[in-house]
Amino acid sequence: MRRLTRRQQLAAVVLAVLALLFISLDFAGGSLGGARGGTTGALGSLYRGTDSVLGPVRRFVQGVPDVGGNRREIARLAQRNAELQRQLAAAAADAATARQLRALQLQADTADWRLMPARVIATGPGAGFQWSVTLDVGSREHVQVGQTVTDGLGLVGRVVAVYGTTSVVLLAADPTSGVGVRDVRSGALLLATGTGSGPLAATALEDRVDVKVGDRVTTGPAGKTTYAAGVAVGVVSSVHTWPDGRVTARLRPVTRQAGLDLVGIILQQPRGTARSALEPASGSNR
Amino acid sequence: MTASRIASAVAGVLTALLIQASLLGPLTFPVPVSLPALLVIVVGIYAGPGIGMGLGFATGLLADLGSEHPAGVQALCWLAAGLAAGMLGGLATQRGYGTRGVAALAALLGAATSGVLGLMLAILGSHAATAVLACKFLIPVGLTDALLGLAVVPLVRNLLRAQGIRSPRPVGRLIGSVDALG
Repeated sequence: MRRLTRRQQLAAVVLAVLALLFISLDFAGGSLGGARGGTTGALGSLYRGTDSVLGPVRRFVQGVPDVGGNRREIARLAQRNAELQRQLAAAAADAATARQLRALQLQADTADWRLMPARVIATGPGAGFQWSVTLDVGSREHVQVGQTVTDGLGLVGRVVAVYGTTSVVLLAADPTSGVGVRDVRSGALLLATGTGSGPLAATALEDRVDVKVGDRVTTGPAGKTTYAAGVAVGVVSSVHTWPDGRVTARLRPVTRQAGLDLVGIILQQPRGTARSALEPASGSNR
Repeated sequence: MTASRIASAVAGVLTALLIQASLLGPLTFPVPVSLPALLVIVVGIYAGPGIGMGLGFATGLLADLGSEHPAGVQALCWLAAGLAAGMLGGLATQRGYGTRGVAALAALLGAATSGVLGLMLAILGSHAATAVLACKFLIPVGLTDALLGLAVVPLVRNLLRAQGIRSPRPVGRLIGSVDALG
């Protein structure tokens, strides 16, 4: 063990007394305030400079113990996020379904039809046709071949095959599909055929008929087509009268054939009521 | 004391204070590990009690003035630590302690210094310091100081041995000649 020299002993005593003096001064009140402020300021500047170098190291080391916990937290949050996304998507889907059901209900009410709501469960080629969809209702729900399918706004197609719990619908857009339609304004009859994703191609059944761009076209008339009468098909987007008098037109469908979800099958059309004969208005002049 | 030794001491103390504040303090919180105190102790072990207590007082006072607790507390504690390290260090160097032995001795002194400092601050009613806390962290401080010592001890030893920093050796003075005897 080293021994202290007399000078060292004296220095130790002096320094200890100085330290005690500093403590006393600091306790007595702000005598060392200036020195403290200067030192803190100088060290603070150095700390800032040092932190720019050592800060990333410190943060990295501080983060090491939390790595496992962070991963668990991230996984938990990701799961929660997925759950919320699913709920959001489900809510949006529910809203869309409700909207479609309202449209179907409105159509059923206005046209006095019995509509069977059905969900599209498959799309694409089926039953030998190109543009068709499969619905989740079949003979169990009294669906029959030939029934008209609507989405609440307009014509979707017609049932071409029925199974126990499913049925296949040929879309109006299918090139092999032919729909008898009528110009609502002029009453001209046309045959509309699908062109796939393009507009429907319509050919007038008679020459030189009155068809104009913007005319609305519906199925019908009753008895002249296999489709339920009065279902909106589309709007005339172009008309061409050929030299031989034949009239062809392009129809912009009111229904988006792609992305169908909820549709309605028209199970029963109104049988109609007994009509009354028209009588001449009273007091009218001959 | 040469200018190069003073410059080395200032550089060492500042570096230790900055590493303590920027890296070690936040990483070891709430364990009151102190790299400057360890540096004072290791320097005291190798350089003797005179340099140990001087460096301890200066470093402690600087740390005090940069802190919120009463000035002079760390100066007094680290002065005592440097002094004790200088006195006990003679034993360690005589017995030829290696890095691990010196680091263990420094860790013991570091833990004791931390305990005494905590008790002093508790007595002075500084911040949240209590005697229980001062005793509670003795072992964690000792273990951490031992680990730090493994890096600090060889660094300080090599620096003190470096040419220019080494303490001046006593030079024999010629007081006579053979010719004079003849």
